[in-house]
Amino acid sequence: MTEVERDGVAIEVEDLTKRYGDATVVDHLTFSVRPGRVTGFLGPNGAGKSTTMQMVLGLARPTEGQATIGGRCYADLDDPVRTVGALLEANAFHPGRSGRNHLRVLTDAAGLPASRVDEVLEMVELSAAADKRVSAYSLGMRQRLGVAGAMLGDPPVLVLDEPANGLDPQGIHTMRDLLRGCAERGQTVLLSSHLLAEMELLADDLVVIAGGRLVVSSSLADLRQTETLVRTPSPEVLAAALRDSGTEVVVEEAAGAPDTLVVRGMSTDAVGECAFQAGVLLRELSTHVGSLEERFLAWTSTSPASDRSVPA
Amino acid sequence: MIRNLFRSELRKLTTTAMPLAFVAVLVVLAGINAVAVAFGTDADGSKTFISTADEQRSLVAFAANATMLAGLFGAIAVAREHGHGTVIHAFLAGPRRHRAVLAQFAAVGLGGALLGVLGAASTIIAVTLALPATEYGFLIPADGVAQVLAASTLCGAVGAVLGAAIGALVRNTGGAVTGAVLVLLVAPPLVVQLANETASWMPATLATVLSGVTTEVGIAGAAAALCLWAAVPAALALVLIQRRDVI
Repeated sequence: MTEVERDGVAIEVEDLTKRYGDATVVDHLTFSVRPGRVTGFLGPNGAGKSTTMQMVLGLARPTEGQATIGGRCYADLDDPVRTVGALLEANAFHPGRSGRNHLRVLTDAAGLPASRVDEVLEMVELSAAADKRVSAYSLGMRQRLGVAGAMLGDPPVLVLDEPANGLDPQGIHTMRDLLRGCAERGQTVLLSSHLLAEMELLADDLVVIAGGRLVVSSSLADLRQTETLVRTPSPEVLAAALRDSGTEVVVEEAAGAPDTLVVRGMSTDAVGECAFQAGVLLRELSTHVGSLEERFLAWTSTSPASDRSVPA
Repeated sequence: MIRNLFRSELRKLTTTAMPLAFVAVLVVLAGINAVAVAFGTDADGSKTFISTADEQRSLVAFAANATMLAGLFGAIAVAREHGHGTVIHAFLAGPRRHRAVLAQFAAVGLGGALLGVLGAASTIIAVTLALPATEYGFLIPADGVAQVLAASTLCGAVGAVLGAAIGALVRNTGGAVTGAVLVLLVAPPLVVQLANETASWMPATLATVLSGVTTEVGIAGAAAALCLWAAVPAALALVLIQRRDVI
């Protein structure tokens, strides 16, 4: 895969829906994962992250919508292992097989040279344990073996489900450097994680889902913009005025406080002037910088809203 | 693509201890045969059961055992792939799943054929080594030995594919083993009870026909019928695996 080809391989999820009987696990999900960026895929347990990843990788059939990689469904890729590296389950190994043999099974299946096995083992610092049975591996070592498997084809796209699970701080640091390096080389990285602090250090973009629905899809830089908190007896009037101000602005109702708005994309002064022009009484106007964890809890504790996506 | 997947499936089979466990079972069975030849007698105290070429052929005909053993081998080999989640890697490498499944069935079938021929060969060798302890020599002609080996090879391959198909359908090792035992051991006598004319087409009977021990049906018909026993569940598994979600 050349650098030029790497540049073009994005993941597009369009109106993706998965239903099991009456239960909707993924509900009309739409988002993009861009090349050269690490995209964090966040959501509480049971939000539909793993099911979405399975549909991206052609392991589960969407009820509606589609997921494409470089414009093609996974099943239509000419050389899937050289296009997408995937880690879905930390324990998808035969316990009696050695780490090296596990990777050789994968290189055989993909028609890759056996020399790649030693290269990726070195990359994830597992060379010394390569000939031990996987049953003797710790959870962290299994994770690293899974990541090694994803890296085998040197693919332009990586899809990793909870790759940092079970890793010690050193392992997390190594993983972070590895994935950042991948993104800097133009690879597309989509990873789910529950480690919000780690995601804050690693991700460029975030896609947050809850109850199978998109909650927010934005760059981390945009999300880090200072928010303005406005408390007013007329939140609907102010929200409409802010949205009509001509500035690209995101206005949300603060969790648990119906008289308070959270405004992003507009300075505190500008919010005050807008309120004045609209004749809206303000009881509080303050700046607020929240942590990702704080926002994640706010996003996922309320029902998903379609207007939470930051405008491009 | 399918060649790569086949090679990968062969490596899966050869990088765990399971095939060795089955080979150990074959050695034990051969040992039991040797002990029976050396020390066993018929009810009247004679050794009639090894006194003629036909009797000896009946003793060393391993095909029916090969079907059963290889059935378990195939069921375990495939069901555990689903249990451990390693089947995901095969479907990621071969997203057109029928290729991955065909490669898996082919590799397991080859493994079953090897188990079959090894089981027959080890039984023949064990009996040959035990016969000097009796008054009889090895009486089976060369073409008879060849037929016993060929029958056991075919039955091993068929049994393994049948087991693999059950494993792919059930996706649980315990369930797959139970399924293989039900299909190959428990169900046939029950079916024969219900419809007596089906007796000639049951796997164990077909195996004895192929080994040249009995002649209920022709050799070609027996081979075709035996293959059908594997082909039907294999086709069912192929269709179902294409349609259902992997995880």
